[in-house]
Formats: sequence, structure tokens, C-alpha cells
Amino acid sequence: MSEYLLQMLNISKTFPGVKALDDVKLEVKKGEVHALIGENGAGKSTLIKILAGVYQPDPGAQFFFEGKEAKIRRPIDATMRGISIIYQDLSLFPNLSVAENIYIGRDSDKHSWKKVDWALMEKTAKKALKELDFEIDVSTPVEKLSIAQQQMVEIARALAFDAKLIVMDEPTSSLSAGEVEKLYEVIFSLKKRGISIIFVSHKLKELFTVSDRFTVLRDGKYVGTYHANELTEEKLITLMVGRKILYEKNKEKAASGKTLLEVRNLAKEGNFKDISFELREGEVLGITGLVGSGRTELAQAIFGINRPYKGDIIINGQKTVIKSSEEAVKKGIAYIPESRKTQGLILRQSIINNISLPVLKKLKNKFLLINRRKEIELAEHYIQSLDVRPPLPYRAAGDLSGGNQQKVVIGKWLSTNPKILIIDEPTNGIDIGAKSEIHKLLRGLAANGMGIIVISSELPEVLAVSDRIIVMRHGRIAGELGIHEATQESIMNLALLGQKGKIREEAQL
Amino acid sequence: MKAFLKSKEMSVAVIILLLCIILAFISPVFLTADNLLDVVKGNAVLGILAIGMTLVIITGGIDVSVAAVTSAVCVVLGKTMMFLPDSPLTIVLIFVIAPLFGVLLGSINGILVAKIQIPAIVVTLGMMSIINGLVLYITNGQYLNSSNFPTVFLKFSNFSVFGISIIIWLFIITAALTWYILKYTLIGREVMAIGGNKESAVRVGINYSKVQIFVFSYMGFLAGIAAIAQTSYTKAVDPNGMLGLELMVIAAVVLGGANIMGGRGTIFGTILGVLLLGIIQNGLILAKIDTFWQKVFTGAIILIAVSYDHIQYKRSQKQLSKIEVEA
Amino acid sequence: MKQVTLSKENILGLIAIGLFVLMSISVPGFLSSNNLTNMMFQLPEFGLFALAMMVVIVTGGIDLSITYTAALAGVAIAILSSNGYPMIIAILGGIAVGLLCGFMNGFIIAKIGVSPILVTLGTMVLFEGLILSITKGNSISGFSPEYTLIGNGYYLGLIPLSIIIFLFVAILTSVLLNKTVWGRSVYMVGSNPVASLFSGVNNSKVLMKVYLYSALLAAIASIIMTSRYNTVKVDLGSSYLLQSVAAAVLGGTEIQGGYGKVIGTLYAVMIFQMISSGLNLMGVPRPIVTVIMGVILIAVLIINFIKVKADENKQKKLAETA
Repeated sequence: MSEYLLQMLNISKTFPGVKALDDVKLEVKKGEVHALIGENGAGKSTLIKILAGVYQPDPGAQFFFEGKEAKIRRPIDATMRGISIIYQDLSLFPNLSVAENIYIGRDSDKHSWKKVDWALMEKTAKKALKELDFEIDVSTPVEKLSIAQQQMVEIARALAFDAKLIVMDEPTSSLSAGEVEKLYEVIFSLKKRGISIIFVSHKLKELFTVSDRFTVLRDGKYVGTYHANELTEEKLITLMVGRKILYEKNKEKAASGKTLLEVRNLAKEGNFKDISFELREGEVLGITGLVGSGRTELAQAIFGINRPYKGDIIINGQKTVIKSSEEAVKKGIAYIPESRKTQGLILRQSIINNISLPVLKKLKNKFLLINRRKEIELAEHYIQSLDVRPPLPYRAAGDLSGGNQQKVVIGKWLSTNPKILIIDEPTNGIDIGAKSEIHKLLRGLAANGMGIIVISSELPEVLAVSDRIIVMRHGRIAGELGIHEATQESIMNLALLGQKGKIREEAQL
Repeated sequence: MKAFLKSKEMSVAVIILLLCIILAFISPVFLTADNLLDVVKGNAVLGILAIGMTLVIITGGIDVSVAAVTSAVCVVLGKTMMFLPDSPLTIVLIFVIAPLFGVLLGSINGILVAKIQIPAIVVTLGMMSIINGLVLYITNGQYLNSSNFPTVFLKFSNFSVFGISIIIWLFIITAALTWYILKYTLIGREVMAIGGNKESAVRVGINYSKVQIFVFSYMGFLAGIAAIAQTSYTKAVDPNGMLGLELMVIAAVVLGGANIMGGRGTIFGTILGVLLLGIIQNGLILAKIDTFWQKVFTGAIILIAVSYDHIQYKRSQKQLSKIEVEA
Repeated sequence: MKQVTLSKENILGLIAIGLFVLMSISVPGFLSSNNLTNMMFQLPEFGLFALAMMVVIVTGGIDLSITYTAALAGVAIAILSSNGYPMIIAILGGIAVGLLCGFMNGFIIAKIGVSPILVTLGTMVLFEGLILSITKGNSISGFSPEYTLIGNGYYLGLIPLSIIIFLFVAILTSVLLNKTVWGRSVYMVGSNPVASLFSGVNNSKVLMKVYLYSALLAAIASIIMTSRYNTVKVDLGSSYLLQSVAAAVLGGTEIQGGYGKVIGTLYAVMIFQMISSGLNLMGVPRPIVTVIMGVILIAVLIINFIKVKADENKQKKLAETA
């Protein structure tokens, strides 16, 4: 019997046009927490999906589980062998009860007419929840639970299946600090019982807290597997990106032009409260805080799509009520949303049609028709100036890479000549090289007089682009930091604890 | 219990209750057992079909060919009964032929939706056109009269147990059976699971296309049962008699609280939806309001119900996305 | 720049031409002036409904109420005419009633946000009920003689007036969809309503105009039909409801929204019309024609599916050899 619970060797996966994985290996020992890490697009999720039976690897792959060769053709094969995957967006059924959610997937589909044993279902569910020390009425529909509770249900499902290996994909992304703590406890107790865990995360600090060993992927290739004590955060980053990259903190001096935007006592029930700040010409204002602290909701309120709110928005010294995104555009506000694929772009439409969308009204000729020639020129202008690759204006936006898609979104909004640009997670899912390019671009726009609000969870990014930083916490402004006093620690301190000063020991995660 | 009081079924039930009270004042006939039984009997076919449609809608599908399929089965029944002997065996045969033929037609819908991935509305539109055409061609649009039916069938039609017509029993049994399937069989839970979250369903190993084929076939099965009920009720086969019924079926399911996007819907709610439509119709007749107004009422009620439901839904979504703002 | 590739629409166009040739050769009387005029008289009403439906489907919606919208508009015209109002007032009245129907759909769909299939199902029943209550189920006539010219008259004694109206509307629709801000927004909202909203598009305005436009086309179809038949009844054009969905889908419109062209719909309408007339001439019973329409609809979608699968396989093979 080998010391490994799971061995995936020679794993390659080819999609039409791309080699997502190239001869990758993943070996997980019994009872260890194994971190799987790499940048976006490094192949982590493809590897997980192969493990889950969602994808089939290219021929030549070797797969051993508990020392025996294993074939996983369908998701159910993985589950039956004791491999449970907890996806970031969870795989729960909101309309079904906790008990059923824990029990589901247990019967093979040959037994369609088998009677469902509700008593057994509840018993199994209760047992699994008890092992987690988690008390909840098993007849509650899952839609009534918080995200953290739902995650527990999902872990309970894994236990009910006698999981020997649990994969957690970005499990902490929508949890509060307290909930994250609780999750760590659960992970340690699972580990004690000999269950192995593959932990996928972007948060390096968090990975060092829980993981025993690390497997690093880069561009679909295997970089190596390391013990936690061989690594430092810095070394890990170097392994992930293949070269040493740390953003430099912004040192430029902000031009202190006139005030473009002033927000006074803005409040929306259940979203945010007592928000007051101002944005000046030529300034980049960073807004950060944990996910769920109300940042995006605030931005969308200013852009007119999160209504109604209380308080005042003052643009160029004039009190303004923005009732729709259409009006926001007219007032010179641009908002680049967090999700490029679902909110930022219309993927099936051409680059031209995407770029011209917010300014179509200005492209009308005297017959009230769209001037196609002008429209194409506009698109070509931004393709060129932002260096979108490939520079093919008729291509569907969905065919571009993440970084180039983001450039199209930025181009689209620059075409409106905005005075105020709000950009939400500007480099989410973009590779490192393209990231610094976008940072440079934002600084350049500010230098030309635009007022920019950058919303980001990535602290190095916030530090790299901002002149001032507002930290939000539970829907309120926890504090504001000038770029000179701001450090990752001081920001985290405000985000987690709501106070300036030295970070406390227990929050140092 | 508390959850039920807040549920959509409850609001439909309250509306029905209010309607009943008003109608009881307007007409003394309304609250008689005979009248109420007539309402149920007259809407049994609608009810049986609506129950099948509930499953289709829960999985996010739709079937606009139900009325056509039911008509087709009615025609097959009418034609075969001419050759069937006047013995109890005929009734047994009917209960074999009708559902079987219904399942056959339903499964074609299911296979096209699940395997060829054509949107359900388009598939069932096409099927509706095909079946309606064939029915018209075969029957020439003519009635098939009861004079050709075996007497045993006519006896069956008038049969009642505990003073309740066999047609109502068919409705009750269908409802109970479907409720049982939804609640206590694996396939039933899979229907609910897919309605709740398609992607999760696939991840936990539920065979999505199998479930789709099942719901459309089951819809066909119930169309077969509905055809028996229809033929028993009218004691004739009218090939044009059910044109447009599919939309009333969908209306009943939606009134009963099912969400057309999938995920929500109960047998109990659908029964209430059917009753609501039936009582409106009955009430208008009793109140001596021109029957032409019935459709106006039905339309208005559908619009109000779906708008109200959507506003409620949006409100609940807002509550869900709440961030704990510190006071 | 633009080259003729075999797009969905071009294939349909070729099929339409092929069908025309085939029918001309094999169906006696297909090329007779009698049949050709018949087809030209029938095409406009069906075509108008199909275009109305297509515009709605491009936004990812559906309008089940169009034929009753048309019938209600027709009833309004009939009532106004028979009460002695001049033709132009009657027509404007009818269009106003149609637009009112469209506004009702648009309001509940665009402002409240209810799914189109439910709303138009409700308004369909409602409009039908209104017509029944007004007409008591009877047909109304009493149109002025000049009114009946719209559906029966010829331009220059050769081309039916109605087909000129139809072609005008088709060109107008095409220009509106392809060249105006509203038209572009229709495709954008249909492709991804969230992204269009986040791009400063006022989705609900766009949708409202879509349902108003669809109702306007229905009202025009109603004018052509009522003047042709010189009578209006509750089921005016009701057989076109599902046929118009079929024509839009056959014409390449995606039922999930985001794609659809006037020319494709036009070809589909012509194909349906030729098959219907051709089979009619061949003595095929009416119901069988309906069957064939259904078969064509499903067959086209199956072929589409096979084609997409084949393309995927080809891509995969290319990727493997690369």
C-alpha cells in the first residue's frame, strides 16, 4: 500500500484549440491538507474537474486511489469512491431540505422508482451534522440558510458519503472572519479523522494556516510539490508566476484638482450606511474591504442601478439624482462591473458592437441611423490605443482572453469620455502581465484628469494604483488612509476590526 | 404550519375561499354538493393535465402539445372502441391503450428536448401542429358518437363510488399518485432537484436528460388518462373540442404557484389553481353573467397573479442579498 | 469586405429558390397567375405576424397575444366604421387599440419584469374575452367599400396593395433593427440583458418599444385581413399564432434571444407559403399540410443540431492534429 491516498499522474487535457493541462501530477497523502495553487488559468479547476469526473483526461493518464487504479467516468463514480468536491458556488438545492441535500446523489439512476426513505435520510443527515458539531433542523429548506451554513451542509454531505478526500474550491471567498475560523476548526477535525483535503485558494496567508503541502501549477504545467516549511509567501508567488513580481506601491503625487463627485450620507437599507467621501479630478480612490462589505452595492448605487437610496450624490457641485444607468452615462459616469463575462460584455457580439454600445446615441447621423463607419473607427481606435489582441474588430468579444476582454470593456467606457470611472475588481482573473498593464493604464487616465474609483479585494493592487484608500466594513466606511500611511496590514486591520493601529494577533490570518 | 400560512398556496386558497363566500351570497345553488361536484367533474380533464404540466414546469420545461396529444388519444380511443367487445375487458384494454399511446407521444417530445436539445416550447409547438393535423385528417373534423361505443364504456362513464363520479376519481387518483411520485420516489426527488438547481443536479450525478424524458413521458401518460376522462365526460369524441386547452392548463399551473422558470410548484397548488379557474367559470354562470366575460376574468386574474407573484419574488430576493449593516 | 458565405439565411434563401423551382416544375398550376396572386394575397398577413413575433423573440420573449391583439384592433375598426366614422379615423382607432394592447404587455413585462410567456398568456385570454364580450361571439362586418380595397386592391392593376404594404413594413423593420439605436439595443438586450443594463441601455424602454412595435404590426395585419375578408371575428388570424413562432424559428431566430433577421423570417414565410399553396394545388388535404409544417420545423432543428455537433467534432479533430 502506497503512502498516497490519491495519485494522478501524466494528466493532460486538450480542449479545442488549447492545452489546458500538460503532463500534470497531483499526489495527496492520507490525512493531509494539500493546497493546490496557481494563477487563474493555471489549470487548477480543470484538474479538479478531471478528479470529479466532469472531464475525461487525454489518453495516457494514470489515476490511483487508495493504491488501486481507478476509473472515474462520471461525477457519481468519484462520489462513490469517497471523493467529494465542494465547489465555490456550492452544489446545493435551495428548494430541498437540509436532510435531502445531504443525502442526494446516493442512489444510482437505475433505481428511479425506488422508494425514498425519509427516515433514513434524516438519520444519515443528523449523524453527519453531529460529526461536524453543527446543529440545525434537518427539515429546513437550504435557501433559508446563510452561505456559511450551506457550506456546512455541503461538508456534511461529503461526510455522509464517507468521503476520504474532500476538495474545497475557494471555500472562504464569501465567509466572514469568524466563519472562516470555524471552517478551519472543521478542517482540522476532518484531518484528525484521517480525511485528506485538497484546498484551492488564492489567499496565500490562509493557505499557510491550513496546508501541509503545496502543489503549484503554472500555465497548465506542473511546477512542483513542496512542504509548507520549505516555502515562504514570496517564494510561493515566484513559483506561481515564474518570475518575481510584486507591485510597487504607488508613489506618484495625486493632482488635487476640483471635486468631481461628492457623496454625502448615502444609505441604502441592507446595503450600506453613512457613506460620505469625495473624488477629485486626477485622483485614484481605492475602495476595499471584504467581499460583502457593501462596496459593489455602493458603486452600483452611484451608477443608478441600485435604487432607491437615501442621501446625496453631488456631481460637479450639483446635487443629482441618478435614476438609471442611462442617466449615469449622460452625467459622465462609467462603471466597469466585476464580472466581465456576465455584466461587462456581451460575449456573442463583436468587439465593435460592444465598444459602441454606451455611445450609440452619439453615433447617429442626420437620418437618425447609426453611422457604421464612425462606429468602426471608434472601435479600431480603442483596439489600437489599448493594444487589444488579436486586433480584429469583427471578432466576438467572447473569443478574447480575459485581459483583452477587460481592455475592450475599458475601451467601451473610455468611448463615453467619462469624468468619473468606477472600476470593480479591475484585474479579476487576468494574468499578472496584463494586470500591471491595466494598472498603468488607470494611472495614465488619472494623470489626464479623470477621477477614478478602484474597488478591489487585492490589497497589493489597491496599494499600487490608489492615491487614497477607503476601507469598508459591514456597509460602512471603517476608515480612510492616505497612500503614505497605508500598508496591507493597516488596511486589513480596518477591514476586519474597524480600527486603525497595529493588527491584533487573532486576526493575523 | 407557519410556512404554509405564508406560502403561495395559502394565498390562492384564501382567494378561493373569498370567491366561495361571495358566490354563496349571490346564488344559493353554489354551495350545494351537486354544484361543487359538477365543478370538479367539469374540470377534471383540465386538472389531470395540469398535474402533469406541473412536473414539466418544475423542471423548467413547457408542453404546449398536451391538448393535441389528449385529442389524439381520444380519437384512438373512439376508433378502437368501435371494435371492442361489450365486456369489462374493454375497460381494462382502454386503460392500457390510452396511457401507452400518450406515453409514446410524450416520449417523442422528451427525446427531442433532452437529446436533440431543442427548446421545449419549439418541440411541443411542432408536435402540436403535427398531431392536430393528423387528428383532423383522420377524423375529417367529425364527431365520433357514443352510439358506436360499447355499452360497458357508457356504464363506466356513469359509474360512481361513494356518490362521486368515476371522472372525479380519476382526477383524485392522478393527483395522489403524482404527489406520491414527487415526494417518495427517487425520480420524483430528482425532478425537484433539477428544478432547484440544474447544475448541482448534474454534479451530484442526476441524469438530466433521463429526468426530462420522464417528465414529458409522464405528461403523455396523464394525457392518456385525461383522454379517458374526457371521453367519459362528453361520451363522444370531438376532434376540435380541446383546441386552446393547453393554455388553460398552463394558466392553472401558474395560478397554483409554480414558477415558469422552474424550481417551484406543488400538486396541491395546482389543484387549487384548477379549482380557482373552475369556480370562476361556475360563479359567472350562477351569477348569470354572460359567459363571454369568463375569459376576461380569467385573463385578468392570471395577469394579477403573475404580477403580484413577481413583485413578491423580487422583494424576497432583495431580502436575501442583504448585508449586515452595523447600526 | 463582405463575401457571400453560406449563412443560415443564405441557405434558407437557396432552399426557397429551390422550392420555387421544384414546385414550378412538379406542381401543375403553381406558376399560374391565379396561384401566384393567391400566394401574394395570403403572404402579407402571415408575414406581418411572423415579423412581429420575430422582433419579440430576438429579445428572448414571446408574444402569445398577437393574434388577439389583431382581432381586437379589427373589432375596433369594424365598430368605428359601422358607426359611420371615416375610414382614416377607423384605421387610426384600430391602431390605437392595438398599441394599447402592446402597451399592456410591455408594461407588465418591461416595468414589472414578469416573464413574457406568462404575461402574454394572460393578455391573450383577456383580449379574447374582451372580443367575445363585445361581439357576443358573432362576426362583425360593415366596412366601407374603399376600406376593402386595402386587402383586395392592386397597385397598377398588377401587384396586390397588401404585399406592397408588407414589403414596406419588412424593409422598415430591417432598417429599424439594423440601423437604429433601438434596433441595436434589441439585439443587445436579447443577448445579455444584464450587460446591456450595465452599459447604460434602458432595458425596459427597449422592451416596451418591442411590444408596442409587435402590436403595431399585428394591427396592420389586422387591417389587411379584415379588409380582405370584409368581416371580423374572435378567431381572426388565430391560426397564425403558432405558425408565426414556427416561421421565426425556421428563419433562424434563436428562441433564447439575441439573434434573428428579417430576411431569414421572410424566406421562412415564403417557404411555408409555397409549401402550403403547392400542396393545396396537389390536392393534399389541409390537415396534412399542417402536419408537414410541423415536421419541417422539427426537422430543421434536428439538422441544425447535427450540424453543430459535426462542427464541434471537426474542431476537435483539428485541435488534435495541430
